[in-house]
Amino acid sequence: MQVSRREFIAGAASLLPAQPVAARSKLAAICTIYFRMSHSQHIVDRFLDGYGWNGTHHHPPMDLVALYVDQIGKDDLSRERAARHPEMKMYPSIAEALTLGGSKLAVDGVVLVGEHGHYERNEKGQTKYPRYEFFEQIVKVFRDSGRSVPVFNDKHLSWNWDWAKEMYDTSRSMGFAFMAGSSLPVTWRTPSVEMPAGAKIREALSVCYGGVDSYDFHGLETIQCMVERRHGGESGVKWVQAYRGEDFWKACQDGVWSRDLMDAALCRSHTLKPARPSFNDIFPTVYNMRRLVKDPVAYHYQHADGVACTMLLMDGLVRDFNFAARIDGRAEPFSTQMYLPMPDGRTTLANFFSPLVNNMEQMFLTGKPTYPVERTLLTTGLTAAGVESLYRNQTRVATPHLGIHYQPATESTYWRT
Amino acid sequence: MPKRIAVITTVYRYLSHAQHEADRILVGYPYQGRWHRPDMKIASLYVDQKPEKDLSVLRAVEFGFQLYPTIAETLRCGGDKLAVDGVMIIGEHGDYPRNEKGQILYPRYEWFKQCVDVFEKDGRAVPVFNDKNLSYSFEKAKWMVDASRRLDFPVLAGSSLPVTWRLPDIELALDCEIEEALMVGEGESDAMDYHALEALQCMVERRKGGETGVKSVQLVEDEAVWKAGDAGRWSKELLTAALSRSDTPQGLTVKDGRTQDLVHNGELARLAKNPWAYFIEYTDGLKATLLMLNGVVTDFNFAARVKGMGVQSTQFLLTPEPNVTYSACLIGKVEEMFTTGKAPYPVERTLIVSGILESCLTSRIQGHKPLETPHLDVHYRAPRESQHCRT
Repeated sequence: MQVSRREFIAGAASLLPAQPVAARSKLAAICTIYFRMSHSQHIVDRFLDGYGWNGTHHHPPMDLVALYVDQIGKDDLSRERAARHPEMKMYPSIAEALTLGGSKLAVDGVVLVGEHGHYERNEKGQTKYPRYEFFEQIVKVFRDSGRSVPVFNDKHLSWNWDWAKEMYDTSRSMGFAFMAGSSLPVTWRTPSVEMPAGAKIREALSVCYGGVDSYDFHGLETIQCMVERRHGGESGVKWVQAYRGEDFWKACQDGVWSRDLMDAALCRSHTLKPARPSFNDIFPTVYNMRRLVKDPVAYHYQHADGVACTMLLMDGLVRDFNFAARIDGRAEPFSTQMYLPMPDGRTTLANFFSPLVNNMEQMFLTGKPTYPVERTLLTTGLTAAGVESLYRNQTRVATPHLGIHYQPATESTYWRT
Repeated sequence: MPKRIAVITTVYRYLSHAQHEADRILVGYPYQGRWHRPDMKIASLYVDQKPEKDLSVLRAVEFGFQLYPTIAETLRCGGDKLAVDGVMIIGEHGDYPRNEKGQILYPRYEWFKQCVDVFEKDGRAVPVFNDKNLSYSFEKAKWMVDASRRLDFPVLAGSSLPVTWRLPDIELALDCEIEEALMVGEGESDAMDYHALEALQCMVERRKGGETGVKSVQLVEDEAVWKAGDAGRWSKELLTAALSRSDTPQGLTVKDGRTQDLVHNGELARLAKNPWAYFIEYTDGLKATLLMLNGVVTDFNFAARVKGMGVQSTQFLLTPEPNVTYSACLIGKVEEMFTTGKAPYPVERTLIVSGILESCLTSRIQGHKPLETPHLDVHYRAPRESQHCRT
């Protein structure tokens, strides 16, 4: 019997005492603020304290060793976390966090959480979270060190499209793995269904809640993680048109988006506000909806291949994220809810951050994103274009800059185990 | 012609079981991504108690059905013959006394018996849905199932937990070999422990050989719960798995949002308020445990070690009030029975769980002693198809 060199080494190694295969990766987290129920708390805590995953309490096989927090408020928890987890040190600057106080990049991955905190709003209502500014400081360390490591950016890339595009381009030119986005694409679904790969989608929409420049992004990611799987893959978006208030209802009436898809999405909700007193679960008429939804917002947009999508913010009617699409060859709409166990009284743990952190872990372990950052580049641009359309009195905004082409991940990446 | 349904209930007020279950026949319910309007109508209603904020009269006026003062009249819609195509007995909520075991004495058996009397007198029987457990008494529950066999009408019963969404959406393979099972629940006895036991049962009934009955049960409390865990009577690995599915850990999570490994961080015993462990030993040797952990979590989670499959675990998702969409999952099954004349899953599940709960509570008042349960000689096979909400 001939033994290959590889088998010989493997066999010989098994006779030796257990050796650490490789040093555990070290991570730095760069955050705006760290209080109870902030995104930083949800994300960084999962690296520090572990989380329920695949039927056990999973501790990520890597160490979050450096933390930068931009704003330390009265309700700050970062110092408590640092005290309880002495392996994690807090640093006064992003550069120091990434170099662990030295002169060269000293971590193997960076988690950027630029959500929550006190930052200015611009005239369009966008909160100027400093994700781009933080990213710039991160890549400066990469450049100065002659080495780059994977970066995860929570939520959209930047409120400013040009900056978002620059972040993306930088990651490409420097050749580091870059992932971003919302929990919505990776959380549970009820039902637990995936858009068939290559589906011929005619139209898609989401019915969600929350406000502009906030949950609109989540509603857009809800749609995009599904429609990117369509025949031909993603081809970009040509234009965006927002509707708000009375114009929303008129657009609804005019069939700008399909009423049957809107109804299908609403039928996936677990939080449909009862339209009549004494009934706990009753389907609303448009008249009921008008009464319940004080500030409805729609971002209606068309992809380059003709697929029409609409993100509907119907705050006051639902408190969850629901998706529906019209697919060729199916008589009924395809629909599901992207289920968030939301700690607003319904739960105590925002466990939808668990699959998000788990996807980050996989990128940090393999050096490869589990889903394309182009998804979030596109939804970043859609969010900005939706806000812009609202700012320009609900005029249609052409989006030649959103000619973003990409193919989806081959494997499903939503939570189902 | 829409099916005519008689509803027999304890109380019809906002968020009572009668309201959210019977209303779904009146106004429809979410089903497979559409608002489904069943081809059924409420023909008649019997309400035992009408407290303040009773809705029964309002509903009768709006939807055009009659309230009757007796169950027989309700089933006959005021005539002299059975005049409905199905009966829903919703004996949950309302003001009823408790027995020495703490069981609420809902008159489900008594009402079912009155339905059976009508069926016998009128020479025709129709399908019956009984919400939750059949009766607080196994003997009475057994009579109900036997009567349905004798008169050959289908009965569907039980909780919403077996049919609600699961996170993750798993089903144990039919005829799998379950080595040990554990369920975590919370809430008051004998309402919420019933739900937890039925969630447990709908999983373990799928094991090799099917359900063959329960040999013995025991209920222990407080310190004895933890001692039993230390002694290996219930598995900490399975509890870890079950709690890993929870979205509602209490204590430090509520205080500052952190995740917790509750089995290993020392918080479990500190958080639990009067924990109860329900030990069930099945005739075929399977051991299952329900831990009611008030103060620890507020959701319902299951774990089992399955030969060749490792530990399988899931959360039975109780969707929030007021929609409680899990009850739409249940009404979908009720409608299926009324439409097809066949119960989609066996009433024996509810029969055995009714008996397990009664015997566990008996063990408790008899000094937490183990009880042989030869009467729980209930045999049945699980449905081949999954019955929980997954489409």
